[in-house]
Amino acid sequence: MSRPPILMHIRFKNEDRSFGLWLPLFLLLPLALVVLIILSPLILVALFLLWPSGWSLWALKVLKAACVSFCAMRGLEVDVQNASQHVYISVV
Amino acid sequence: MSESQKKILEMLAQNKISVEDAHRLLSAIGADEGGRGDTGTGHEPERDRRSGTKTNPKYLRVTVTPAEGDTGGKGNLFQDGNVGRVNVRVPMSLIHAGIKLSSLIPGEALDKANHALKERGINFDIRHVKPEDIEELIEALGDMQIDVEGGRGEKVKVFVE
Repeated sequence: MSRPPILMHIRFKNEDRSFGLWLPLFLLLPLALVVLIILSPLILVALFLLWPSGWSLWALKVLKAACVSFCAMRGLEVDVQNASQHVYISVV
Repeated sequence: MSESQKKILEMLAQNKISVEDAHRLLSAIGADEGGRGDTGTGHEPERDRRSGTKTNPKYLRVTVTPAEGDTGGKGNLFQDGNVGRVNVRVPMSLIHAGIKLSSLIPGEALDKANHALKERGINFDIRHVKPEDIEELIEALGDMQIDVEGGRGEKVKVFVE
């Protein structure tokens, strides 16, 4: 798994207004960790209850794949422009 | 012959590395030296094809450029207020992760997708796609470049870099 993205840059521009936003994605990781710790008892109970049906294994796989996809987002760049609008999204 | 190439050949002569290792190292050096003086065109795989070496592509890029100058009254995507310039760069690792994520799609959803494909005349079973095929597909993307020119002069390019 590669290094997770640190920042997301969003820029929007039209004829009337323009704004840019730097989202600190690195702050999401400690936040997610705190949420995970708080919810861990509930998650464990849910995993235990769903284990016979096979859904818990699937849920863990999805969680892992989501984490991998999030980390793989580094370098993503979307730049769309027409005569009056310009949208730019970049993940650093 | 550069110093690094000499060193690799010396190591090979002294049996410190295998022939395969030497080939790999020489290829890597060749790719690195080819990369120097890059003008920023971003067509590394194309250059590698010419030099005979192959590097793993890092990004898939899709660009749409509207026609420049007078289009003879036809107008173009930019003037019509539709999508004008598009420049999308998708990391290959994200494509890789996305394809792997598709393996977690429940069976019923795959059945529905297969049915929808069949309705559109595509006789293809998604279940038959194996991880090895996906790896091969991603590797083959390095040799791909698509150039399409539309009726209104817009150019669509899909390539890896």
